[in-house]
Parts: sequence; C-alpha cells; structure tokens
Amino acid sequence: MSVLFIALPVAILLGASGMMACVYCIQNGQYDDLDTPSIRILVDEVETKNDSPKN
Amino acid sequence: MLPRSNGGEQVISLQKRSPESAISDYKSQGCFLTKPCVHCGLPTPVHCDTNPAAVFCCNGCKGAYELIQGWGLESFYELRDSSQQNRASLDSDASFDVFDDEEFLGPSKPSVQSDGWLQTRLAIVGLHCAACAWLIENVATRTPGWRSARVKMSNHSIQIVFDPKTIRLSEIARLLNRIGYELAPYIDGDDQAFQTQNRKLLTQIAIAGFCAANAMWIAVALYAGDATGLAASHREFLTFIGTGLGLVSVAIPGRTFFVGAIASLRTRTPHMDLPVALGLSVGSITGIVSVILGRGDVYFDSLAILVFLLLIGRWIQFHQQHRAAKAVDLLLRITPRHARRLTGDGAVAMVLAERLQHGDTVRVFAGESVPADGTIVRGRSLLDRALLTGESRHVRVDVGDSVEAGVVNLQSEFDFRVTAIGKDSRIGRVMQSVEEASAGRIPVVQLADRIGGVFVTVVSILAVATFAWWATVDLYVAASSATALLIVACPCALALATPLAIAVGLGRSAKQKIYIRDGATLGQLAKPGTIWFDKTGTLTEGRPSASLVYGDQDAIVLADAIERGCKHPIAEAIHGLARRLCLPVRTPGNEIEGRSEIEVADVEVADVEVGIGGVTGRCDGRAILVGNFDFAQSHAIYLDDSTLQAADSCLKNSSSPIVIAVDGIAVTVLAVQDTIKPDAAATVSQLAKCGWTVGVLSGDHAEIVNQVADQLGISRDHCYGGLSPEDKLRHIKSLQASSLNQSSSRRTIVMVGDGANDAAALAAADVGIAVRGGAEVSLRAAPVFIATGQLSTLSSLVDASRRTSSLIHAAFATSLAYNLVAVGLAMAGRISPLLAAILMPISSVTVLSLCLVWPIYKNRESQL
Repeated sequence: MSVLFIALPVAILLGASGMMACVYCIQNGQYDDLDTPSIRILVDEVETKNDSPKN
Repeated sequence: MLPRSNGGEQVISLQKRSPESAISDYKSQGCFLTKPCVHCGLPTPVHCDTNPAAVFCCNGCKGAYELIQGWGLESFYELRDSSQQNRASLDSDASFDVFDDEEFLGPSKPSVQSDGWLQTRLAIVGLHCAACAWLIENVATRTPGWRSARVKMSNHSIQIVFDPKTIRLSEIARLLNRIGYELAPYIDGDDQAFQTQNRKLLTQIAIAGFCAANAMWIAVALYAGDATGLAASHREFLTFIGTGLGLVSVAIPGRTFFVGAIASLRTRTPHMDLPVALGLSVGSITGIVSVILGRGDVYFDSLAILVFLLLIGRWIQFHQQHRAAKAVDLLLRITPRHARRLTGDGAVAMVLAERLQHGDTVRVFAGESVPADGTIVRGRSLLDRALLTGESRHVRVDVGDSVEAGVVNLQSEFDFRVTAIGKDSRIGRVMQSVEEASAGRIPVVQLADRIGGVFVTVVSILAVATFAWWATVDLYVAASSATALLIVACPCALALATPLAIAVGLGRSAKQKIYIRDGATLGQLAKPGTIWFDKTGTLTEGRPSASLVYGDQDAIVLADAIERGCKHPIAEAIHGLARRLCLPVRTPGNEIEGRSEIEVADVEVADVEVGIGGVTGRCDGRAILVGNFDFAQSHAIYLDDSTLQAADSCLKNSSSPIVIAVDGIAVTVLAVQDTIKPDAAATVSQLAKCGWTVGVLSGDHAEIVNQVADQLGISRDHCYGGLSPEDKLRHIKSLQASSLNQSSSRRTIVMVGDGANDAAALAAADVGIAVRGGAEVSLRAAPVFIATGQLSTLSSLVDASRRTSSLIHAAFATSLAYNLVAVGLAMAGRISPLLAAILMPISSVTVLSLCLVWPIYKNRESQL
C-alpha cells in the first residue's frame, strides 16, 4: 500500500495538468462562444484548395 | 426567404384585358405565371415557358446564385433557414472603398500579424442560421488571399485574416455583400467586460471542480478505510492531501465569497456570501485543527463541493443575465455611423458621424438615415420620422426646416448644416433617457435575497448560540455541531432555487422564441397589472395594405408606375397590390436604380408632382391621378355613382379609399388600411380575462386609435392617441407614480411596443415587451423580446410567468423546509458534520429535479 505515497501525488499532478490545460483554454478564449461551434459541427467539412477557386 | 415549395403558381392571361387599356402595348403575348425566385423565393412573374430553375427576381439574386454555384456550395439552399429575419439588403450599391479607410474602420482597424497577414474583427449583418456561418467560412477558404473567416453567432461578428498584397478589405466586403451579408466596423462595447468576467468565472469553476472531484475520492477512500481498516500513516497522508485540496479550493476560487462577505459587512446588508464565507472559514479552521491534533473529522470534501456548486449557480445566473444584454450600442445602431461631409471645394468625404462638428455641411442621399441634427441648406425631400414621433405619415421638408438624427430620407438628396451630434441630438437624448430609465429602476428585490438576508443573520446567530451552548459541555462537540449547522444550513439549495427556476423559465421561453433579459420580469408578469400596447406595428401590421374595391386592374399598373418615384407607404401598398395581383411591373425608363430584369422599362413617366394627399403625373401621355378623395375632388376628377359607393363602403370598414383617375375620370377605387393582426383580439380578451387592464398608447391620430380599440374591445378610456415617444414615457412614469401613491398592492405596468421607437417607454415601464425592431436593439431597452411577432405568444408568456413564479415558491419552500429540519437536528447535536455534508447536496438535487420537471409551457413542450 506504500505505493499510495507515489501514486496519489502522481494522480493529483496528472489531474492538475488537465486542469491547467482547461484553464489555458479558457484564458485563450476557447470557451467564449458556446453557440457557434455547436452548430458548426453539424455541417460537413468540404475539402478545399485555397489557391484555386472553382470560378 | 420563403421556402421554394411555397411559391404557388398563379395563371393570369394578359389577353383577357381590355384592348383600350394602357397595358395593350405590352409586347409579349401569352400566359404568365408567378414562380419563386431560385435564390430568395420571392414570387416573380415570368413567362410560362421559363425554366423554374432559372427564375430570378433581380440581378442581385442571380449574381448570388451564380457565385454560390460557382464555388460548389449549393448545399446552402438546403441548409438555410426559411426565416427572413435580419437579412441584409442586397440592393445597397454603396461604395466599399471606405473599408480601406482606416478612419472609417475605427476600432476595427486591421492589425498586422507576425507573418504579415492582416487580421480584423468586423460586425456582420444578415446572419440568421448555421448555413450563414458555413457559407461565409467556406467562401473565405475559396477566395485567394483571404485566409480565414471565423463567424461568431453570439455577437454577430466575424474575424477576418487576409493578405493585403492579394486582396483588399473592400473586395471582401463587396464579395460578402453579393451573397447577402453586410460588414460594419465592430464596436467593442461592454463585450470586453463580459468576456473578462466570463473567463474569470470559468477559471474559478475549473479549479474548484478539480479540487472538488479529487477531494471527493480521497474522502471516499477515507470513509471506506473507516469501515475496512486503514494504516495510520496512509490515513494521515490522505487527510493531509485532502485538506490541502480543500484549502486550495477555499483560498483560490472560494476567495470570491470572502470578498463578497467583507463587502456585505462593510455595507451592513446581509448577503448570501456571508454564511458561505462563515461556513467556509469555520470548516477550514476546524479541519486544520483536526488535522494538526489528529482527531475528529475533516470536511475538506464538502468545502470543495460547496465552492464548486455555488460557483456553477453563479455562472448560470451571470450568463442568463448577459446573454441578451451583450448587444451593440442602441444609439449607434439607429443613427448611421458615417456621414458625407462636404468639404470647402464641394467634394464629399466620408467621415465617422462622431467626428462631425457643429456647423459642418453634410449630404444625405435618398434612402439613407440622417447622421446628426441640423437645418437643411439645400434640397427638399420627404422624411420618415417614425423613429422619433411614431407617426406613420411622412413629412415634407424644405430649405430651412430642421432634420433630426435617425430619421430616414425617403425622396431625394439634400444638404444640411449640423447643429447637434451624438448625445446632444434629439434621438441621443431619448436614448439617454432610456439608459437612465433602466438604471434608475428600483432593483427588484428577489425573494431569495429578501429571505436570504434574514436567513443569513438567523443562521449566523444560531451557529454562535449552538457553539456557546455546547461549549459548556464539550469544546469538540461544540465545534462539530456549529460546523454541521453551518454546512447543513448552507444556502446552497436556497441560493440555487431562484436562479435555477428562472434559468429554466428563460430557457423554455427562448424555445418559444421569447427572449428575456432580466429574470425578475417573470416574477412581475405573474401578477396581473396594467398592459399598454403601442398601435402601429404592435396591434396592427404596421404596413398599410391596399385592396381593390372597384374598377379596372390595369389602372393599378399606371398608378404603380407613377408612384415608383416616391417611397410613401401608400405607394408601397399599391406596389404590393400590383405584385399580389401579378400585374406586370412597369418602371419609368428614366429610373436606373433598383430595376431588375423582368421589369419592363417601357413607360414614360413625366411631370410627377406630389401634393397633399396624392400624386399626379403623366404616364404614356395620359394624365394619371392617385390620391385620396379630397385630393381627387380638388383636381376636379369626375366621380360616378359606383365610385362613390365604393368609397363609402371603404369608410364603413374603417379603411381609407384611394382613387385612381385616368384622364380626369375615376376608374379604380382602392381601400388602404393598416390591418389589425389576426390574433390581437383573442390576446386582448385573454389578458382581460386573466385580470389585466388593457390600454393603447399610440403616436397615431386619436380617431384611428379609437377605431382600432373598438374593434379589439379595448375601452376608449384607456386609449391615448397622438403621443410622441416623450409623451409615452411621461405617461408611463405618471402612471407609476400614481400607482405608488394609490395603494399598497402595486400593479405592474407593462408596455408592449416597437423596440426602436418606443424604447424610452419600454425601458421606463416595469416590464417592457418589444415585439418588433430586432432582438439586439429591443433587448437594450426592453427586458423581453418576442421574436415570433405574434401577440398570442404574449398570453402564453403571462401564463408561463405564473407557473415559473409558483416553481420558485415550491423550490424555495422545499429547500427552506429541508434546512429548517436539518438546522434543528444540528442544534440538538444529532447530526455529525459528515452526515451534514451528505445531506447538503441531496437538497440541491431535490431542487434541481423539481425545476427540471416543472411544466412551464403547457403545450408543444418537450420535457427534459
């Protein structure tokens, strides 16, 4: 059971790194708009070539 | 944009028309149909042989369709919404070069990225569904030099990244305009403050969530260890880490509550934050003491969960309040942002409206709104003053007359000298009173806050009393009981009850297309009061419509051609009638703008003169007169018996007759009226049945207001006509003052109207409900916006408010009863802090499930 002394801090550290990533995302503005992405995902992405428009 | 399937086909044969009529020279013979335009769905008269897949109502639609086809983005037509709301006008052929002008862009000035590309954020008009965002973002990737576009539906803005060497911003603006969207410089406003606060709250929730989740499973390990046995060293280690997590949660995200509690102490107003802060500190201190002494329980997990849940409740509340409020400045939306200033040498320069100065000369073209107050120095025109006066009739202005910011120039260009701009202009002052009315409103004391204050004080006193009582017996039991009491009496469920019930109410309302900015509104609408309606556009359609009463259809074509020059509502009504009857549209050959392919420019219109009550002119060499009865008589028009009879029948139906005369003889009589909305009468009677007093406040003529009121069964005592927006505001305010003095049970005063021109009255009323005028602008002034535009929605909103209000009471009673029982047990020393910590979330869950299953809207409701 003494593995607990290593496993617990490791688990907490892993969790904390996840939390830091989440906080980074929030500060980065990824949670600012909760409306558009939910509808954007419903539409299929079409392969596009930026340099050659079809018209 | 109508769905394409809606375009009914109507067959009209031109051959049936009388050969003498002016239409006989219409070249094409044969069968004509109306088919829907492929792009916008507008019914379009075309020859019957035309392929339905190639019907376009105008060049703009054809261009847009070809562009979309060319890019291979045809799915747009399948994806797009059938509603036509907020669609940008396609016909503005304004120059887009201003988009390359940094002064024009103002705060939207593109910034240079590290790789040399330019990036900017602009406001975009015309978004209404997922298809719009999809189309724009895909257009961007198919345009060389335009790297990306990110559309943000929440605040109608677009972020554009482009290569200044390949493409200019004006070209992007032109491209977007061709597919139906308009760009405008983006105004930051309070969006920034909202964003900062939102991010801060979310960060706090993330940290609190992490602490709570980890503290929870450590606590589980400890409790499991109690049952099965746990080595002392492990136990100590787990307690140590758990306490650490609890303390982090209290110290970092929980700091908000301490800040709030200190503020509450300083202002001496009991606040929900106070017992939370007290509970948190007592819990933390006893926890730390227990850890150090190595005996008793620690409550770190309940502390962390407490912080987490309270923060989530707070975020929901914050988001609901700001969801609608993040709108662009009302003033800037109503008045144009740019003005054409005349320079000394007569040239015209585009400048920002706010840069205008007193004494500048500004040119306003037909169809534009006036950017500032001033006096006309050159030109004459017809103005639509509806924004300021609410009057549907248009006003003729000449040199020396004054014009106000926000009014629309309908007829021809004029120059005016600026006398007041921005906040000093008349509309600016109206807007200021809007802001004052919304700021000066007595903050609605919510039930939770009211009882919460008492609750807070009582709980704190009880905790101290419990501690003092038990301290005489045993200090450890004293601390344990007091902590149990503070935890179990935690106003978690109590604090959640009201915001959650309101959030559910608002969410369900939004599904019914009722957008509510202020949750307190639901409580106010629950009790019957007085409800005032604006007439034009609220009880009535707001647009006069014409119908043929007597005479020849072909005269309508001529009348339409004559009236094309003036943008009077009657002219629009006649044009609408011509469209409905699918008559060929004939445009004066000398008019260039706005003509589309199918319109035939074969009419020669001359000598058009607009008089009081009508228009005269020559069309294909024949003298045409269109006007009301008095106008016709004053021009010595011959009126036969059947014409007079038709006019009489019009007056009986409370609509005004319009006579069309050709060569001095009246041939056709049209009835023009502003029709009452079909559901108006039912709504009024339903509201009256629920105990509401219904009245009308209108800018229109008192006689017309009374007629409408009679038809709807509204008492004439409650009808007021001829009111300016300022009068309406005064009226609402005086009613509020008198109802305050009158009785103890104050009746709610509700105003229902147009979001733009009743703004001040809407903001001043206890509850303002906008039924028209665009969601963003309306929600600025009024806490409620009904997007369906149907009045029947209003009665279901009143009904829903009553149900929401009873939900709040039920949720409140549940959590309060729970708390009372638990507090009693805790004081008796019957509940250990551990049991308290388990009971606490159960009460929250009860309240939560109660809110979710409560029926708020009776029908068409998908329960969660």
